[in-house]
Amino acid sequence: MADHKYEKWIEKDNVVIDGIDVSGEWNRMYEPREIMEYDLTYMDKVTELDGGESMGWCYQCAQCIGVCPIDNVGSYGPRKIFRKLQTGLNLFEDKDLWLCTTCTNCVRVCPKEVDMIKIMPAVREQAVLNGHVPDELQDMLQNVAEYGNPMGESARKRVKWMKKFEEPVRDLSKEDNPQPVDVLWYVSDYFSYHNRGNDAAKAMVRVFNRLGIDYGILGKEEKCDGDSQRLVGETGLFEELAEHNGAQFEKYEHNNLVVSDPHAYNAFKNFYPKVTKKEYNVQHYTQFLSEHVDALQSLMKRPYPKKVTFHDPCYLGRHNGEYNAPRTLLNAIPGIEFMEMYRCKEQGYCCGGGGGGMWLDGLVADHTSERLSENRVKEAIEVGAEVLAVCCPYEVSRFEDAVKSTNNDGKLQVLDIIEIMDYSMGNSDVLGDA
Amino acid sequence: MPNLPILVIGGGPAGLEAARGIADLGYNAILVDKAEFLGGTPISADYAAITPDMRNTEEAMNEMIEKVTDNPLVDIRLNTIVTASEGEAPNLNVTLKNGKGDETINVGSIVVATGFQHFDPGKETQMYGYYEYDDVITLVDAERMLKAGDFVRPSTGEKPKQVCFIQCVGSRDRQIGNFWCSKVCCGIATKEAIEIRHLLPDCRVFVFYIDMRMYGFWEDELYWKAQEEYKVNFIRGIVTEITQRGDTVVVKGEDTTMGRPMEVPMDVVILSVGMEPSEGTKEMSKIFDIPLESHGFIETIGGALNTVETQVPGVFAAGATTGPADLEDSISTGGSAAMKSCAFVRKADLKLA
Repeated sequence: MADHKYEKWIEKDNVVIDGIDVSGEWNRMYEPREIMEYDLTYMDKVTELDGGESMGWCYQCAQCIGVCPIDNVGSYGPRKIFRKLQTGLNLFEDKDLWLCTTCTNCVRVCPKEVDMIKIMPAVREQAVLNGHVPDELQDMLQNVAEYGNPMGESARKRVKWMKKFEEPVRDLSKEDNPQPVDVLWYVSDYFSYHNRGNDAAKAMVRVFNRLGIDYGILGKEEKCDGDSQRLVGETGLFEELAEHNGAQFEKYEHNNLVVSDPHAYNAFKNFYPKVTKKEYNVQHYTQFLSEHVDALQSLMKRPYPKKVTFHDPCYLGRHNGEYNAPRTLLNAIPGIEFMEMYRCKEQGYCCGGGGGGMWLDGLVADHTSERLSENRVKEAIEVGAEVLAVCCPYEVSRFEDAVKSTNNDGKLQVLDIIEIMDYSMGNSDVLGDA
Repeated sequence: MPNLPILVIGGGPAGLEAARGIADLGYNAILVDKAEFLGGTPISADYAAITPDMRNTEEAMNEMIEKVTDNPLVDIRLNTIVTASEGEAPNLNVTLKNGKGDETINVGSIVVATGFQHFDPGKETQMYGYYEYDDVITLVDAERMLKAGDFVRPSTGEKPKQVCFIQCVGSRDRQIGNFWCSKVCCGIATKEAIEIRHLLPDCRVFVFYIDMRMYGFWEDELYWKAQEEYKVNFIRGIVTEITQRGDTVVVKGEDTTMGRPMEVPMDVVILSVGMEPSEGTKEMSKIFDIPLESHGFIETIGGALNTVETQVPGVFAAGATTGPADLEDSISTGGSAAMKSCAFVRKADLKLA
């Protein structure tokens, strides 16, 4: 009977125009509110996808919404996506496909095991194949495909951060006959190319060197780990990257693969083996260093008398169950007054950078009242922290921007844990020398 | 030892189980049913498959019937009704009436298993138009079609493309006077939804509900199965009214989890009608002077702790005669009534001895 296309009927439950939140029931007056059809075309398409099956399992208990970080700043979440699909939403071409940060908090609580971490990449893969990808994300994907990093920088510049840096680092890609290393350190894109990431990379080098770790890096042969690319649906690109990096891991003999980035950790531990058919002895740097906590404590002599809180990265915490290692390191730093935020560990709030969110700030801003990173920064300040410690390379820049945009300049400093450790050992690019 | 027989009234699931139990315990049962066959409502109303097992109803009920038909301790009287009772248990003179006339029998105890009747959506105050629209049917009408293996739009005889169930019709309703949840309709609607999807894979099936009451194993064995394997759509918010537009019926209500009004055409609407005390149940309460509880079903005295004993000594009740019951309930109370009626007769015998 109704010959209207569904798109005309959808109501805008969340509207931000030029940064001003104008959400509210009033905007319904512009479009008919009545549901005229339960068009299940796209629901069927989603549930028929490999990985998309569980989208149809939702029974509307709504526990997901209680923990969805996007719903905190907008109207979103798995049970709502389920209902929208049931009422005809073409998720393959809708912004709802791109708002999910794959933080997996919904998966933690869902009694029906609706698995957004499988659903999102499966649906996004179709969107990518059909060219329905937000521009900002498309640019990133092109950069990664072309240059091996999301910034679109050349492979050579991956080691630019080491120029004029006195500390010795073995760049295995430059060695003619590279000898085995105990630790192969995967530096990651943001530690390599982002200026605040460079600070952390240098701190890492100093800490490794003081500890006497036998380590090396892949230098220009290192490429993006591909995990976020996999999660935005670029399965082909992910597989290429897995094969490339996997080949480097083969080439350079090592005992441990230590990564700076929880996303890389997740990729190497859980998803590279599916492509390369190899298992990796991979640790996040906080896990690796927490095994050396006694040696570290004898090196970390300079007190850091600050109130410090810690943001659990989704891909270290909820995705991989590691909550202790970062806290072990922070608590080993003399003088620190450590405090938890209200939402911590399993309940930790997402920074907004995962699942492609890192490159979707524009789209997300159009549909939310504030950034997730802003929401998080306010929480850190609320619990009385002076320093927000992180251990994911995505986060320093995100939170530093959020500190500024929430007018909290000077109230909260954002530091990678390794930077604080480095300071406590008597060095620091950011905090200054002793 | 006099060993007076126990009269079981009603040959549905509860009565069959009671009669079988009495015989198994070595007592004599007289099983009467007003119909010319045993099996009760599942058979008389042409249920396609039982809930939740999804076994063929006839096959399942025949299994129960066989246990009493060739049993020397069970005296089966079909086409028979109970018209009067005199005396007190264990010495009751009950009048049975059949085509041949009246007969008075002397029994030691009674099990009333006269069951329920389906709510008649024609008498309801809701605007579902059961007697106006051909394509608005009940769970029972749907069972009949499903049993015949051919689910169609009654108005055209064509296969439907879009079908919905409306839950809680005649239940949970102060205006109608039926305050209770009928307990089984969520499960039966879900079972039928699965059967429809199985029969017609291209037909969309929706269930409009207030809350899905899929207790125990029904949750995953029916509800999850329907949703996950058969892609049945459960939508919260039951329909307010039905209107006709052209040759389709349109269901109108609120999609509550979307917070939006909803007005959607359907090829067939199935009303999930609930349970009411049957005429037989009301009649037995009069004949044996058994008090009814506030909803109009036969009252048992022990609440949750004694589900079969009535206020009248020696008179027990089983199945949906005491309130909404599923098959499991009916079989369980049937067995319990068998045990208690035999115990009653045995105690009486011991006193006389």
